[in-house]
Amino acid sequence: MATYLEFIQQNEERDGVRFSWNVWPSSRLEATRMVVPLACILTPLKERPDLPPVQYEPVLCSRPTCKAILNPLCQVDYRAKLWACNFCFQRNQFPPAYAGISEVNQPAELMPQFSTVEYVIQRGAQSPLIFLYVVDTCLEEDDLQALKESLQMSLSLLPPDAMVGLITFGRMVQVHELSCEGISKSYVFRGTKDLTAKQIQDMLGLTKPAMPVHPAHPAQPQEHPSISSRFLQPIHKIDMNLTDLLGELQRDPWPVPQGKRPLRSTGVALSIAVGLLEGTFPNTGARIMLFVGGPPTQGPGMVVGDELKVPIRSWHDIEKDNARFMKKATKHYEMLANRAAANGHCVDIYACALDQTGLLEMKCCTNLTGGHMVMGDSFNTSLFKQTFQRIFSKDFNGNFRMAFGATLEVKTSRELKVAGAIGPCVSLNVKGPCVSENELGVGGTSQWKICGLDPTSTLGIYFEVVNQHNAPIPQGGRGAIQFVTHYQHSSTQRRIRATTIARNWADAQSQLKHIEAAFDQEAAAVLMARLGVFRAESEEGPDVLRWLDRQLIRLCQKFGQYTKEDPSSFRLSDSFSLYPQFMFHLRRSPFLQVFNNSPDESSYYRHHFARQDLTQSLIMIQPILYSYSFHGPPEPVLLDSSSILADRILLMDTFFQIVIYLGETIAQWQKAGYQDMPEYENFKHLLQAPLDDAQEILHARFPMPRYVSTEHGGSQARFLLSKVNPSQTHNNLYAWGQETGAPILTDDVSLQVFMDHLKKLAVSSAC
Amino acid sequence: MAGLYVKPGNKERGWNDPPQFSYGLQTQAGGPKRTPLTKRVAAPQDGSPRVPTLETSPGAPPMGPPPLSSKASRPPFVGSCPPSSMEPTNFPVVESEILLEDVLRPLERALEDCRGHTKKQVCDDISRRLALLQEQWAGGKLSMPVKKRMALLVQELSSHQWDAADDIHRSLMVDHVTEVSQWMVGVKRLIAEKRSLSSEEEANEEKSVATTEQNQTVPGIQHDP
Repeated sequence: MATYLEFIQQNEERDGVRFSWNVWPSSRLEATRMVVPLACILTPLKERPDLPPVQYEPVLCSRPTCKAILNPLCQVDYRAKLWACNFCFQRNQFPPAYAGISEVNQPAELMPQFSTVEYVIQRGAQSPLIFLYVVDTCLEEDDLQALKESLQMSLSLLPPDAMVGLITFGRMVQVHELSCEGISKSYVFRGTKDLTAKQIQDMLGLTKPAMPVHPAHPAQPQEHPSISSRFLQPIHKIDMNLTDLLGELQRDPWPVPQGKRPLRSTGVALSIAVGLLEGTFPNTGARIMLFVGGPPTQGPGMVVGDELKVPIRSWHDIEKDNARFMKKATKHYEMLANRAAANGHCVDIYACALDQTGLLEMKCCTNLTGGHMVMGDSFNTSLFKQTFQRIFSKDFNGNFRMAFGATLEVKTSRELKVAGAIGPCVSLNVKGPCVSENELGVGGTSQWKICGLDPTSTLGIYFEVVNQHNAPIPQGGRGAIQFVTHYQHSSTQRRIRATTIARNWADAQSQLKHIEAAFDQEAAAVLMARLGVFRAESEEGPDVLRWLDRQLIRLCQKFGQYTKEDPSSFRLSDSFSLYPQFMFHLRRSPFLQVFNNSPDESSYYRHHFARQDLTQSLIMIQPILYSYSFHGPPEPVLLDSSSILADRILLMDTFFQIVIYLGETIAQWQKAGYQDMPEYENFKHLLQAPLDDAQEILHARFPMPRYVSTEHGGSQARFLLSKVNPSQTHNNLYAWGQETGAPILTDDVSLQVFMDHLKKLAVSSAC
Repeated sequence: MAGLYVKPGNKERGWNDPPQFSYGLQTQAGGPKRTPLTKRVAAPQDGSPRVPTLETSPGAPPMGPPPLSSKASRPPFVGSCPPSSMEPTNFPVVESEILLEDVLRPLERALEDCRGHTKKQVCDDISRRLALLQEQWAGGKLSMPVKKRMALLVQELSSHQWDAADDIHRSLMVDHVTEVSQWMVGVKRLIAEKRSLSSEEEANEEKSVATTEQNQTVPGIQHDP
């Protein structure tokens, strides 16, 4: 097992890929019997400080339906200067630049350690990065002030040649004309009436004049300065004026009567933003950054009316079909999201309010385009300010981590097809020999578009084995997949990242042990979880749980070692041992349990779950718990109520929260002030240790998590208590015969009960 | 340089607001990292909850003090201690009064240098903001860290260290935006204008040096054109 863990880790570090199965069942029938589909978690732009990009363009297979990129799996005839594509077996001539290659003088892309290569595209104009701020002015005074300051600060963080624009809205929507002259002008739109893209472009005067198109010089955005410059200007020209303009922004002037919400025209504001960029910078990387302090209350896309006594929809309302505005609003934002995605523009939503803001209806804007969703209580909090700052964080080369306008293409060897992808992407509807008819996630295509992404953006990609049963294992015994990501780097260069991987086929009848040993339970858990959460968007909650349970039972039946009808004999090998636990916690997670969360909160959690890398996704499914005490170094402990002890400090990381919990005795010692006495200095160190570790996590995480510091008996201890496995509850406290740990007041099923049921069902011949 | 500190979040607006990192700490490459907390413990296959190695007695334990501090009982940490502390770092140097003049004069001089090269309106705009800086400084509205960092910024600007000056401006915008936002963008522009002026001057100098060299051909010595 140790070797497979190393193998899995090395591959993840090098290629940003983790497969559910690392030895592939060779027939379609056997693959379906594996229960967990053959799938991978892919981080297309995984940070590789050790991989400098090559300054030439990739060599492509000449077959028009293939066009795979030259990679280490290709057979090469160095004397004849020919190479054979490993996907379609076409023989290709090397281009003239490769005349000097030989066995001892290989180009990087043929060397085995370069399974991932990044190419820099030299030709073509480089278009600047574009940032369009869309700002809600129906905020409280100090919230608006804090937001203004954050926006002013961001102007210092953006590169000088980035283009920037400003739209503000409340009851009306104002598009600000940015100019270096003294007088600032703006175009005002009513917030109640939606306009088509063409109407918006006409009213803003963006209709392009007819220009003769020279074949050698395709029209570039920057060749039409008169069109783009009025609303979107480069930072180095406009920063001072824009700083002043932001500084002068006032709260929406329309008075809000008692008992009413402010009239907020988010739907029209976003529509104008999308239309403006569509008309000025189509097919260029751009970010629309929407800042809202409350829900949309008028016009298309409104989510709730302006009467405060009518609350915004809850899950209960939605279940009872009592959410008046939901369908129409969702449709409005879906239309905008699809238009933005088609143009390669991403939409971020920064929602800071104490009540819901309509993230449920607006989530498609971020989820389809790869934009960020940030949810906070107020713009005047460090959670918002730091999360916002981190968007502009730079890598080891001083470049922004954000990337734009990516296209992901997947090619497979002929025994495999692509069933779909789950993540922050839209389908490009590209059919071809690699595309399966069975869809998992966003399917029916072998190419997807990801308009906004960064080095942690991760997709789940699902495959189908199409080899017929009893067909011989393909020659060479290995299947291959190539992932090609074209994107705009933040330095405005266009780049291509190509990753080519291969895995062995095995006959499931005779080599099941090999397949079993190569199972990656962590990757499998995340891939199944993504499928579950994807289903939860369109199916009823209980149905999703039933589906998840059924898959788990089938997996245990297939891979468990047991004697029939004897649950106590049930065992799982090491490569499966954590999997049931992941499923148990997944069932209780906010991704599948909407109880106790608002629709906006559920949308927020699901948004982040669908795009984080494997490690962070696992933290979300099953939070990490570390224990600090005088008994030894800090150690991971079971996420279980038995880990809550009086003489321990616990640090829990759920991804969205960091919780530091002081056990009863520790809390009493702290209250007594022992940490201030020099002879008890080690107690001071003990209190500090989890704070330092928490700081390490807080330093890097995006978005900033909430930070809960609590103790035994504290009201905020509920964050810890609701996550741990309730092995001791008020129901069974005396059944175990020992009183270690803290009982949890819940009727939830514990892991022990869950496992007992699972074993019973797995060994039963009735299933 | 920019301080490395962490201050608490806004507890009034968000009871669970996370602590805020300074710009300097945020941009730190990483250094000696503590081992990431990502390990898990597998649940026992037979189903019983794990009994912890130390049993605590049932009922209310008589609360004694914690173990006395000694070299032996000090718990080792997962990783090494990070350099940052929870309070703002104290500068080891004796704090001397930072004079407004020492900061404003070099900025005004830099602006004068740019007058020929930069558009009048931009210069006026920068000048207006420098006046604002002066007003706020003289009026005691700027905190000590801001004044200290401005002094450093001006030093870097005078030594033509554009990137360093730019970085200090950014750190001030991130850590002290409320105090500096009104005028800092003027300083930012000034750095940019000085930088471009300076590179123009260098380019001109190189050209003139090249032509003088061409005119001074010394026999026996090769020159690259």
